[in-house]
Amino acid sequence: MRHDFYLAWRHLRHHRTRTLILVLCLGLIAALPLGLHQVLEAGEYWMTRRAEATPLLVGARGSSVDLTLGALYFSETGVPTIRMQEADRITATGWADALPVYARHRVQDQPLIGVTLDYFDFRGLAPAQGELPAILGDCVLGADAADRLGLGPGGTLASSSENAFDLAGSYPLKLHVTGVLAKAHSPDDHAVFVDIQTAWVIEGLGHGHGETQAAPTRPDSPFGSPTVRRADAGLLTYTEITPENLEFFHFHGDPATYPISAVIALPHDTRAATLLQGRYLDDHSETEIVRPLDVTRGLLQNIFRVGALFDGILLLVGTIALLLVALVFSLSLRLRQREIETIYLLGCARLTVLRLLFAEILLIALIAAAVCAAVLATAAPYASDLARHFILS
Amino acid sequence: MPTFRILSFVIALLAAASAWGAGAVSEHPLKIVASNYPLAYFAERLAGSWATVTLPAPADADPAYWRPDVKAVGAMQKADLILLNGADYEKWLAHVALPRLKRVDTSAGFRDRFIRIENAVVHSHGPAGQHSHEGTAYTTWLDFDQAAQQAEAVAKALIVRRPELETAVLDALKALQTDLAGLDGELKRIATAKPGVPLMASHPVYQYLARRYGLNLKSVHWEPGEMPPEKEWTELGKTLTVHPAKTMLWEARPSPAIADKLSAKGVTSVVFDPCANRPESGDFLAVMKRNIENLKMALQR
Repeated sequence: MRHDFYLAWRHLRHHRTRTLILVLCLGLIAALPLGLHQVLEAGEYWMTRRAEATPLLVGARGSSVDLTLGALYFSETGVPTIRMQEADRITATGWADALPVYARHRVQDQPLIGVTLDYFDFRGLAPAQGELPAILGDCVLGADAADRLGLGPGGTLASSSENAFDLAGSYPLKLHVTGVLAKAHSPDDHAVFVDIQTAWVIEGLGHGHGETQAAPTRPDSPFGSPTVRRADAGLLTYTEITPENLEFFHFHGDPATYPISAVIALPHDTRAATLLQGRYLDDHSETEIVRPLDVTRGLLQNIFRVGALFDGILLLVGTIALLLVALVFSLSLRLRQREIETIYLLGCARLTVLRLLFAEILLIALIAAAVCAAVLATAAPYASDLARHFILS
Repeated sequence: MPTFRILSFVIALLAAASAWGAGAVSEHPLKIVASNYPLAYFAERLAGSWATVTLPAPADADPAYWRPDVKAVGAMQKADLILLNGADYEKWLAHVALPRLKRVDTSAGFRDRFIRIENAVVHSHGPAGQHSHEGTAYTTWLDFDQAAQQAEAVAKALIVRRPELETAVLDALKALQTDLAGLDGELKRIATAKPGVPLMASHPVYQYLARRYGLNLKSVHWEPGEMPPEKEWTELGKTLTVHPAKTMLWEARPSPAIADKLSAKGVTSVVFDPCANRPESGDFLAVMKRNIENLKMALQR
């Protein structure tokens, strides 16, 4: 048997190009469906784990999928806003703790998420370097966002301008990086987090004024020395918040009316969760409550239906490919007719030829399996990135 | 037999370790940060040795005008409970990132009874720079009924975080509210005995005190250690003609020069310390008793 494999191996090595093509064809045909399932499983794990950890989500009435994807996975599609008073309303019931999330903006292609510090406790996020935001204008980066932006504690980045043609719009805000979060293997890794009040400053709801300065005196003025104060300095809009100008920043209007994307509601028990859900039964209400796990499961079912379709197509392609491989083998046997005759003439039995062919097929299958395993192992670390890209983008 | 002994020893060891662990968790004192001394006092009375209460404002600063730096914010972020006075007292709140779930707005229960101050004068004293008292009157605790409600809010927050302390906290709350009710009753009695007596206040911080106890109070913007300019004395003279007050309430003892000048105008200086920061001696209750005694003597004159 050892000799069969030796001869088969020598034969395969002699016909290197043919062997390589066969091995790659078989290896990739096997790797494709397995890789697809790997991506789907990663997506399922990644999405389900996040949804399971988020009991209830309150947002603008409309698409519960958009709400869940926007508030939990920070998708680029965006979510219609609700008011901050929704978080106060949930807290006031005494049934749940409310965590407001504002996920409207992006900074250098990374989602810019406005949260309160409770969000970090809730998600179990802690800084691997530096500290959490302390004052307006501070931000903390997710692990992957820090890598992509090449920033760490002490660095700065500017928020994206909302609209370049909006002359009355707010200026981009220079954010100070106070820390980098430890890797969480979740969408939080890609985000830039700011305190929700900083997100409102970026929105243009809060701004700073410089101290008014006394106007220069003009002794030659026919109206005498002016006592008025110059207002232009007072209208200065800061693009950077520092401890020195911090006290000049303020908000206009009632913060309860300020926008947020959603509220993560953390009910104290099952009864509280049911009671809270009962508050949102009115179809005419501007807000709705969803269980992210239900939404995610529904979404995943659709994705798996598409996955099953892919499986069917790949099965067909695989069958065709195997038939082609069989054709290649049968044609190669014809070409090797003289070689087989020589083996008979040397005194070998017909079984020996079959054994030799079996050894060749087995070796090709083994090498193809190794190629398949290598491809899957190489792709595995990118499975969740691919899942996130295909499911959320 | 030796196996049985070893097994028993291991079980006993595990039981001891788990009991020690459970004890250690519940014995971990709560870290409480209070934005002013009255709240710190309430928390200390209610939580006793189960909490370490910190007042981050420096001892010589008025917590209403203190601004936390990044270090102070970091310390507050690490607390289990952040007690806020509310009523726009913590003007720095919009500038800092603090966990929302750890914050307790102790005056939220009587938000509809806040006093709005319109057209307040911008003035300055000491190193804190210019400020005005426009907005919401914030010395809510000088109405002892409101103080009792603030204490109740602190107690509720403590119970939520440490349900096992409910009985102890409620007992302490009852005692504290009895003390506050005593102060409330005493002030009401004094004020009712001499209704409508004109009084002056050196600073506009007694709005809730005046409302609760029906005091006929007008305010200037003077500081105990800063001699007011002549213009202010003229203004005071004009006010006294229509509001003939014989007593001026001060947050702290005024300098002898100011007291003498006031005395020459027939106005006696009386200290009614709002006690926003930790007193050098005594506690909140002692200071308030002293305040009431001072007011009582002034009204009896």
